[in-house]
Amino acid sequence: MAELRYVRALNQALSDAMAADPSVVVFGEDIAAAGGPFGVTRGLLEAYGADRVRDTPISEATIVGAAVGAAMTGLKPVVEIMFMDFVAIAMDAIVNQAAKARFMFGGQGSVPMVVRLPHGGGVSAGPQHSQCLEAWFAHIPGLKVVCPASVADAYGLMRAAIDDPDPVILVENKALYARKEDVPDDLPAVEIGKARIARPGRDATIVTYGAALYTALEAADTLAGEGVEVEVIDLRSLQPWDEAAVLESLSRTHRLVVAHEAVEAFGVGAEIAARMADIGFDELDGPIVRVGAPFMPVPFAKTLEQGYLPDAGRIADAVRKTLA
Amino acid sequence: MPSSPANNAPALTDLVMPKLGLTMTEGVLAEWKAKPGDSVSAGTVIFVVETDKIANEVEAPSAGTIAEILVQTGETVPVGTPVARWTGKGFIADEADAPRPAVEAPKPAPLPASTGDRVRATPLARRIAKAQGVDLHAVAGSGPDGRIKAADVEAAAKTAPAASPTEGERIALSAKYLAMVRRVVAAKRDIPDFQVVRTADVGALLELRRQLNAVGGPKVSVNDMVLKAVGRALLSLPRANRIWAEDAHIAFAATDVGMVVNSEDGLFIPILRDVGRLPLDRLAVDSAAAAAKAREGRLAAGDITGGAISVSNLGMFGAKALTPIISPPQSAILGIGAVERLFRPDAEGKPALRQEMTLTLSCDHRVYDGVLAARLLQAVAEALEAPHSLLLTEG
Amino acid sequence: MPSNNATSRSRAAKGSNKPEALLALYRQMLLIRRTEERLSQLFADGEVPGFIHLSIGQEAIATGLGAVLERRDTIASTHRGHGHALAKGVELNSFFQEVMGRETGVCKGRGGSMHVADMSAGMLGANGIVGAGMPIAVGSALAHQVRKTGGVAVVFFGDGALAEGVLHESLNLSALWELPALFVCENNGWSEFSPTSKQFVAPLAKLADAFGIPAETIDGNDVEIIADTAGRLISEIRKGGGPRVLECITQRVRGHYEGDAQKYRDPAELKDRDKIDPLPRAASRLSVLGVSDALLAALETEVMAEIDAATEAARAAPLPGFAAAQADVYTPAGA
Repeated sequence: MAELRYVRALNQALSDAMAADPSVVVFGEDIAAAGGPFGVTRGLLEAYGADRVRDTPISEATIVGAAVGAAMTGLKPVVEIMFMDFVAIAMDAIVNQAAKARFMFGGQGSVPMVVRLPHGGGVSAGPQHSQCLEAWFAHIPGLKVVCPASVADAYGLMRAAIDDPDPVILVENKALYARKEDVPDDLPAVEIGKARIARPGRDATIVTYGAALYTALEAADTLAGEGVEVEVIDLRSLQPWDEAAVLESLSRTHRLVVAHEAVEAFGVGAEIAARMADIGFDELDGPIVRVGAPFMPVPFAKTLEQGYLPDAGRIADAVRKTLA
Repeated sequence: MPSSPANNAPALTDLVMPKLGLTMTEGVLAEWKAKPGDSVSAGTVIFVVETDKIANEVEAPSAGTIAEILVQTGETVPVGTPVARWTGKGFIADEADAPRPAVEAPKPAPLPASTGDRVRATPLARRIAKAQGVDLHAVAGSGPDGRIKAADVEAAAKTAPAASPTEGERIALSAKYLAMVRRVVAAKRDIPDFQVVRTADVGALLELRRQLNAVGGPKVSVNDMVLKAVGRALLSLPRANRIWAEDAHIAFAATDVGMVVNSEDGLFIPILRDVGRLPLDRLAVDSAAAAAKAREGRLAAGDITGGAISVSNLGMFGAKALTPIISPPQSAILGIGAVERLFRPDAEGKPALRQEMTLTLSCDHRVYDGVLAARLLQAVAEALEAPHSLLLTEG
Repeated sequence: MPSNNATSRSRAAKGSNKPEALLALYRQMLLIRRTEERLSQLFADGEVPGFIHLSIGQEAIATGLGAVLERRDTIASTHRGHGHALAKGVELNSFFQEVMGRETGVCKGRGGSMHVADMSAGMLGANGIVGAGMPIAVGSALAHQVRKTGGVAVVFFGDGALAEGVLHESLNLSALWELPALFVCENNGWSEFSPTSKQFVAPLAKLADAFGIPAETIDGNDVEIIADTAGRLISEIRKGGGPRVLECITQRVRGHYEGDAQKYRDPAELKDRDKIDPLPRAASRLSVLGVSDALLAALETEVMAEIDAATEAARAAPLPGFAAAQADVYTPAGA
């Protein structure tokens, strides 16, 4: 056991993957010499050389487009878009090229690439540096989307994403980079598409992912004081998502809340709620309630952002509502 | 040789489940009075429909021959569903029980449907109820807006021995009985009711009744006199002659009053028309006829629709008082207890023997406030205590 | 229009006055031309679904490049990419079956004309998005560099893609990393329905110069010049010389897509088509080199027989099944 930070777990996973497979390359803005704006790629240049660890110009469309071509030609590129917001510039490469290549070319091969996208607010980064846009990618057939919340999963999902033969969007939450956890020395890869029960409970299920996991756990603590035992499921993967695990939990608790930091409307929670209303209909003993950000851009000022981010109180209220 | 349709057979049309009341959405085909091949003339009873309120004999709207029966006895089908094919002309829905809004009505709103049959229950509660044979209509929901949750069904299943064949005999109930159950559950769930109680000195009333009945003519009951008192109270307090209808009141001009009648199939409430203006002897005749029709299951849709208030009397069984459940869409119901003989202090403080009756008015707070309720009850009590007013036909 | 200078001409013919090399180029151009003419007919008859963009008049570029590229080299193509695919080695039968939407097509009928790809031939795909092939080729070049394959990545793009931002990004990044990439602009003067002169102000060669990338602008209708120039550039790139830009001036004979009546275009523009058409030009040169008309006619017969056979095979080929396609959005587990 050792104490490890989330950012170091990502770094360790990248390093281990590069050591294990010479076809893994890493490139993006300021990721080599500077070690990345958040330090995720620190030390990789020194360890693996300028051929495999490259700083790029500020050209998001070409960074991701080049990853597609590199993946088609035998590399396993891991590229970083400095803030998830900037991925809007690179959408063609992700949506029209990477996601479709395997299908469109008749399964001749896939595009084994990872696009790392730091998302999330809470640091007064404002409307263009704080968004949670993961639902965009979960909507695109051909993409996988993962979002680790724990330090162990940061390592395990990074390894799994790099090993995956298909394009994977790895969503990292900026607020979690500094998170510390005791983890085993020998961390395993985590299977993409498998959720985990972060806290068992019998009265209601909260499905969540990313930084909202910790907000949900805080809400569960509050509710435990009221005699309500909430089960908290950390989805870990958004596409594919662990429908079976959520249904299994719902079949025990009969109440479902879906919570995330992303805007509530048309979000990941909408999909989970709709799907469970379908396949889990007869298990429901209360309305499915979603908790997400309001339908507005992420604001800058501290007070505004506090109002914007879903907090434990809102999640607890949602649980109370489904229990009413 | 098997019969085959003649080449010039008349075109067949559908005979449909008629709409026998404004809130009727479905009906039980209780009995077929005709069979395929029967030729009937207009007015012949062809089948009987049980709705949530009553059994209706459905008469042929024209002459015709029944070709085929599509809905068998005991089946429940929505209004408008073809129940048979025949050569006659189909039904036009009975409009007899349309509401009669008075000038005060803000708009000709339909009667509220929210007090109808829809059960609010979670999917899990429905699943459990189905598995355990629990009728959700008889389960009180503890969730928002009376939503029935799984725990409510489980509690109901535990407390309902009938549900378990080992603990007792399960008795199937008639559609009419279940309709009554639905109505009272909905009323308890949806109506914000409150009660006001007072007593009335009925010594003079009993004496007047004795004298009237000694004269001969239709036998006047205490209940008739209470009905009449309520009708007169409505004349003097038209504000009370209203019902709630989806964010509006519907005000009635006629002083119709319902009368709760007990029967083997449950409770029925035939409506007596414009009681405040009806002579007491006529009222006695009408109430006796309505009670008989109710007990015999012959009430028609028009007999049970209308009015803002009803009277429920348990006095004959010795009950001191009762707190009745409002019958939607009405806004009030008056519960009558038994006549009691007791001493009351007179003006000098000396005991005086009185005959008193306890009156309990259950009111819908969406129509009544406490003052209105107390004033209506006061008007009823004063009419009972000065019973000669009951012989008047105008306010 | 650049001049066909004598040095280019002599270099193309250098080393031999034997017609074999040109004959092979001619045959490849003829195959592309007749294939696209057949597709035009099949499209009009409803046998080719969707919509198709023909490269008639531009065959020399695909052919010239195809002649100098090796199997290990990779190309990223455009919506007008039939010639690129065939010249890079996509097999004719599976090509026809793809464009006609058959299970046995090179992409199992899932992509069609605009998405023909063959990874085994180094054809990374035609592309429905203008300019999208450029960063893909840059990435492929990166892979050649990192993996030391000795391969070169070539991107074909039209002059309509000049105003796409990724061109500028891709030129910059390939120059910055000295990638083995060749940018081949097929400049036919038209950006879909508009003249490129009204869409883009900077000559490509100047743009390349700004990034320090050597660029050449040549006659895109002379297959020998193209093969010669491309061969030289590829050789420089393969030696580690970094990216190059090759602009080939050509002509689009058909509309933007089949069915486009080109009402926006002056018919006079194509009046002298025969003089510039790469096929007659190659044929007359072959004649000079002593190839008989009979031999060219025999070649024509041979090519048509191949195309007829490919057409019939595609007609007879099975249509794709939905379930198998739906199951192939992701790599199957264990694959």
